[in-house]
Amino acid sequence: MKRIFTVIFLLILVGIFLKVFVKQDIPQKISDKIVRHDLQEINYPPDEKNVTINGIDYLQSQAPVGNFGGELIISTIGEGPKTFNPCNTKDATSSSMAGLLYDGLVTTNPRTGKVMPLLAKEFDINGNDYIIHLRHGIKWTDGNPITADDVMYTYNEIVFKGLGNPSTMDAMKVEGKLPELVKLDDYTVKFTTPKPFAPFLRQLSYPIVPKHYFKPYSDKGESVFNAFLSPNTPPKEIVSSGAFQLKEYVAAQRVVFVRNPNYYKINLKDEKLPYLNKLVYMIVGDTNNEILKFEAKEIDVLSLRGSNVARYKIREPESDYVIYNLGPDTGTLFLVINLNNRKNKDGKPYVNPMKHKWFANRDFRAAIDWAVDRKNMVQNIASGVAEPLFTAESLNSIYLNKYIKGHPCDLDVARKSLEKAGFINKDGKLYDADGNRVEFDLYTNAGNLEREALGVMVKQDLENLGMKVNFKPVEFNSLVNKLTNTHDWDMAIMGLTGSPLEPHDGKNVWTSSGSLHMFNQRPAGYNIDDRLDWEKELDEIFSEGALKLTFEERKPLYDRYQTIIYNQKPIIYLYSPTRITAIRKKFKNVFPTSLSGLIYNLDEIYIDEES
Amino acid sequence: MEVLRKIFQDKFAKAAFIVLAALYIVILFADFIAPYSNTYSNRSMAYAPPSKIYTIDERGKLSRPYTYNYKREYEPALMQTVFKQDRSKKYYIKPFVKAEGYKFLGLIPTHRHLFGVDKGGELYLLGTDINGRDVFSRLLFGGRISMTVGFLSLLIVFPIGLLYGGISGYFGGIIDTLMMRFAEATMAIPSFYLLIILAAILPSGMTSIQRFMLIIVILGLIGWAGFARVVRGMVLSIKNEDFVQAEKTIGASNMRIILKHILPQTTSYVIIAMTLSVPSYILAESGLSFLGLGIQQPDASWGNMLKEAQEFTNILYRPWLLTPGVLIFIAVLSFNLLGDAIRDVLDPKSQKRI
Amino acid sequence: MELLRYIAKRFLQVIPLLIIVSLISFFIIRLSPIDPLAELRLNPSISQETLDKEMKRLNLDKPIYVQYFSWAKSFIKGNLGYTSAGEKVSTKLKERIPNTLLLTTIVIFMTWAVGIPLGILAAIKKETALDRLLTVVSSIGMAIPSFFFAILMLIFAVKTGWFPVGGLTSYNFNEMGLLGKIADISKHLVLPVIVLFTISLSGLQRQMRANMLEVLDSDYVKFARAKGLSEGKVIFKHALRNAINPMITLLGFEFAGLLSGAALTEYVFQYPGLGRLILEAVMKSDINLVMASLMMGTIMLIAGNLIADILLMITDPRLRGRS
Repeated sequence: MKRIFTVIFLLILVGIFLKVFVKQDIPQKISDKIVRHDLQEINYPPDEKNVTINGIDYLQSQAPVGNFGGELIISTIGEGPKTFNPCNTKDATSSSMAGLLYDGLVTTNPRTGKVMPLLAKEFDINGNDYIIHLRHGIKWTDGNPITADDVMYTYNEIVFKGLGNPSTMDAMKVEGKLPELVKLDDYTVKFTTPKPFAPFLRQLSYPIVPKHYFKPYSDKGESVFNAFLSPNTPPKEIVSSGAFQLKEYVAAQRVVFVRNPNYYKINLKDEKLPYLNKLVYMIVGDTNNEILKFEAKEIDVLSLRGSNVARYKIREPESDYVIYNLGPDTGTLFLVINLNNRKNKDGKPYVNPMKHKWFANRDFRAAIDWAVDRKNMVQNIASGVAEPLFTAESLNSIYLNKYIKGHPCDLDVARKSLEKAGFINKDGKLYDADGNRVEFDLYTNAGNLEREALGVMVKQDLENLGMKVNFKPVEFNSLVNKLTNTHDWDMAIMGLTGSPLEPHDGKNVWTSSGSLHMFNQRPAGYNIDDRLDWEKELDEIFSEGALKLTFEERKPLYDRYQTIIYNQKPIIYLYSPTRITAIRKKFKNVFPTSLSGLIYNLDEIYIDEES
Repeated sequence: MEVLRKIFQDKFAKAAFIVLAALYIVILFADFIAPYSNTYSNRSMAYAPPSKIYTIDERGKLSRPYTYNYKREYEPALMQTVFKQDRSKKYYIKPFVKAEGYKFLGLIPTHRHLFGVDKGGELYLLGTDINGRDVFSRLLFGGRISMTVGFLSLLIVFPIGLLYGGISGYFGGIIDTLMMRFAEATMAIPSFYLLIILAAILPSGMTSIQRFMLIIVILGLIGWAGFARVVRGMVLSIKNEDFVQAEKTIGASNMRIILKHILPQTTSYVIIAMTLSVPSYILAESGLSFLGLGIQQPDASWGNMLKEAQEFTNILYRPWLLTPGVLIFIAVLSFNLLGDAIRDVLDPKSQKRI
Repeated sequence: MELLRYIAKRFLQVIPLLIIVSLISFFIIRLSPIDPLAELRLNPSISQETLDKEMKRLNLDKPIYVQYFSWAKSFIKGNLGYTSAGEKVSTKLKERIPNTLLLTTIVIFMTWAVGIPLGILAAIKKETALDRLLTVVSSIGMAIPSFFFAILMLIFAVKTGWFPVGGLTSYNFNEMGLLGKIADISKHLVLPVIVLFTISLSGLQRQMRANMLEVLDSDYVKFARAKGLSEGKVIFKHALRNAINPMITLLGFEFAGLLSGAALTEYVFQYPGLGRLILEAVMKSDINLVMASLMMGTIMLIAGNLIADILLMITDPRLRGRS
């Protein structure tokens, strides 16, 4: 008996061995099946119109009329919303959900990026005066009318007092002064800015909140107001204005919204929008889980990255989803070099002065720029689903400087640049003019596969020039601490999200006193003017750009800033992922744009089960 | 010898021992066995599948094993990267080929590798990873870290635990109470969280060697208290034995009694605890690396290699990235089986798991 | 009376323990280079003023010992403070505790219901093929990294479509009837329970086997056998009762584990439990949250040990004089 088992076991072993090691070379048949690739024609509907019915100023969607009912399930990555108070949001998830509940006076046209009225019926601009006409007869979810008092309250008692998140207050300040706000009548208000100020109009997208609901809390001061509308607030209590109202929040699992029957948008048949009955946000921890949930049909929309794209593209024709290519993302990945030459409290320089000498040398930075192999980064790390990047503005920005063409990776140019800067290459090792070996640290956040792989590639690229690179992935939060607080780093690979419409939003990064001026961060309250020439020029561009009102006036300024960054290379841009999104076919009225993404018009999307 | 013979009577233990011995030999000679070095990477071959090795050529004749290179193509319509065989040239797999230089056992500089293909050829037994690095080679180098991290941690745990438990148990009284309260306090902090808190505070400016050492220290710091408690318990019973009392009357110093007479009595327990706790350290390292707090890129460990296998598409389309998980499994299983057998032989009475 | 005095004594011992634990953990966390405000800092639209305000709110501008004392003061008062995102720690914990309790009690119940009989079985059939098989199978269970196993299970769920991919309830949970709700939760629980069950079963089975073997080897069992009692009686009447005693201590430890949960498994399954919450909090250095959960874990551990000891004193008269 035992013998037989032993023999069988041996036979199996031999069999496996033969299977693995004896293989005939039969040429693979390469299928020549050409995959049909339909270019999606998207017929964008005309812009929305104002329509007055029975004295109520509705906003009429011009999109095709659809069916009512059904639900859309989408996902949000992370821990879910931290507050539904639209005035106190500090993270993307909270602000997108609070933004769903509360509309602002104006919004951004999803295609053109122009400012268009939303809660406001229309606006007139006269020099520094912005006159806002509100819609008559529209209501909060509890039936109270939305009037000028709510607008006055929102701006005077929340925004201008810096209650909650004071960023809008900062953004509205022109040379330290806030605009003035006057109520003209119950449905008209007037803002007056101290000076012409381009970014102002867009700031009016700040959500308007109901005075009668918010005031009791805002009167009690900061801490009560900040705790107000926490995710655990009973949903029935919440008075809002947006297309959807809160139904349910389940910690770490989901947020459910239902349609707001009082919403002021109607379709071409004059029926009240939105079409969908329910909007569900599943809270998922990471992208892997998101993909699995889409695969298991638990969510309806999925943004695809890297090699996932191919999997879904191939199966698209037989599947129940469509894939849209929204072009380059606003997110950018870059290599930032620390130009800091200041000293810490104990008089120790943040960056070793020897290293600072290298980093401060433009030719040294240029050599790095020429040595990084963006083409293979895109190919290997993003599986081809990305675009090489050379500009500070993201590729879909309307202010993109199209004259910056970039360059291929060329080690010879890089070597020449280093020679010019006085570096000497001995036996494949790079030394500076004083004979010091060029060696520095490269940081990125650990646990992020993409950035870790990028770091490994950058390290190899720079080692081809003879530099010694110590690649050190660290915990995300400690990396940020290094960049913004302790400044003791040499180079880092990071990512930031830009705004495709308003380059002024980048002022924290580019102006010398900005809180994200990573490559030459000055501590808060620093008042010594040690700006580099090009930093001065950037400061001027950003203060001037904000005061110019038209696109045509502003464009040359922001072109110039991108040229400066491209020439000086304190930040070396690597690539920008392409945004590819899949959505189930049954959803109609989907008009993706590269500026606003796929599902910005949640009130117009409807379900057609037939197709 | 008698003990070893007894252990090997157990077939599972024997198999486990052979597997572990083979693993350690392979990682010891990793430079020689791996066709590529730890830092090798081929830019144009990210996520290449394992090389196909043929022993029968296209005309059906037996041949020396050979392989083809891959060429990468990108299909813009599908945004898909495909690897096709470049059938223009066969690369024969040969023993002792000349390739990248290294120092054999860290001493003798040489260019010979156990096997490989001629210049220009690429041999990826287990495919490549996102940076175009040979997974097979990295598995061997990663094993060096994963398979030793446990033993090295024990070098910290055991001296601390033995001494701490020994002193506490031997002196008793107020010293014992204080020492044990402190040990209990460290044990009371849920160990996994303590582990990640400690790993997260590692200073970021460290070299990979320093980081490796500190991770060992951290793993050690987590484990010492439990071990010390058991040792204390054993010492409590040993110290009343006659021979200890005899030593005391001779006037031997306390330290001498603890080190020379009491602790050696715990040897068999120590050996058992060692084999049985190594696997938990291997698993802990992989968990840390999974969270991005363990061994960092570009160094390899089985844990951080397995991180790549998290992604859905990688599991479906690139199963070769799962091999580190298989190796962790095999290593831990072998240690457990071997540990069981050793325990049965050395200490048949007290069968407690540690 | 003696029991009460013992309990009181144990309670007094708890206080220094808590102080030591809180000191160790507070200083370790605060000394870390992790910045609790990192995410805010990287948001280009957050101004310096907001950051300063947050800094003040979290007391980050004060020396560490001041932070510790202000934390300790509010902790004694029962105020657990706010997370770095401004939510109440107590509500966050309350949201998660029932979920984690649900998962862990099921797992503990199942492992005990299966592990103890298997351990006994293996001990009785010592060194037979069955025993060997059980040893090997349980070794296999211990050898898989939990997160890896969990990932494989998720893929299994996607491929078969039999189970939902992570989470605890479906999106339309609130519209279901009672039976539907129970079915929905059970469906979500299957995979995480399988993973945790497989991993913890082996340890328990081995422990029980070892205890049983020791008892079966003891004199009084031999004596019972010599008396001519049937094997079943020997095992269940005499051996089992003694073998189960050490397991009570183990149960005390498991009680502590009830709330600290299984972080990695919860993380992979996106289970809304405490383990995942603490894991994320630790990674972000969210001090109030981490401290609260660590203290809770410690208290649970002490309580678990205490309960185990009391149980032991009741079941095992030999121990009454000691300690």
